Amino acid sequence: MHKRIKFFDPTYYKFVGSWAWILHRLSGIALIFYLSLHLWVINTLTKGPETFNKVMVFLNQPLFKILEIGLWGVILFHAFNGIRIVIVDFYKGSLFHKRLFYFFIIIALLLWVAGSYMLISHIHWGGN
Amino acid sequence: MKRIGETSKTGGIAWLLQRISAVILFVLLLSHFITYHFIGKGAIEYSKIIEKMQQWWFPLIQFLFLITALYHGLNGVWTVIEDYVHSKGWRIFLYSLLITVGVTFLFVGILTIVNGSFIKLNK
Repeated sequence: MHKRIKFFDPTYYKFVGSWAWILHRLSGIALIFYLSLHLWVINTLTKGPETFNKVMVFLNQPLFKILEIGLWGVILFHAFNGIRIVIVDFYKGSLFHKRLFYFFIIIALLLWVAGSYMLISHIHWGGN
Repeated sequence: MKRIGETSKTGGIAWLLQRISAVILFVLLLSHFITYHFIGKGAIEYSKIIEKMQQWWFPLIQFLFLITALYHGLNGVWTVIEDYVHSKGWRIFLYSLLITVGVTFLFVGILTIVNGSFIKLNK
């Protein structure tokens, strides 16, 4: 019988690794929902130019650009923490996984700021 | 009947595939986001996307992207279900749901790739 895992066991959450673990799960679940939505929306390409362009104009509103900034953050966290997990698993990562976490989080944050700046500058505030 | 050795073997392959797909996705997802989501001001236009999709490597890369993303995502959720759902009925229900979602979105994605990459534009 497996030991039941609590979603949020407070005894472990003084460690950065536990936060990385739970946030990796939550961001992963968020991303699979986004992926499904994305595949479904992008499928309007098969409905021809008019339908597709209409959908793209709809998604060009500021609201979706702001949501996209959040999405970019979730992607970067999951991607860089994921690479950290691969390094920790295949190399002697347990010796430096905390430092590695902070290192990758800083890179992810810098990319998030740069990407968010791009997305904000692309917002067309005056409607379509 | 599965012996302990067998189950740990299949789990090991899933574990390894999750890491291999992670590395592939790291490259593909970040380059996808940079080339498609930071595409520039204004709404994305059908003709521009079709133009991109007509390059010979597009369907190959996108198909790889589609299967790795779906596999990685659904295998991740599978692991989460394993950790938190312990009743047999719920597990069977949720695993079937995952497989259905996977097959459906694989089909949806393939339709998009085939349609955009092999469509004849009468310009």
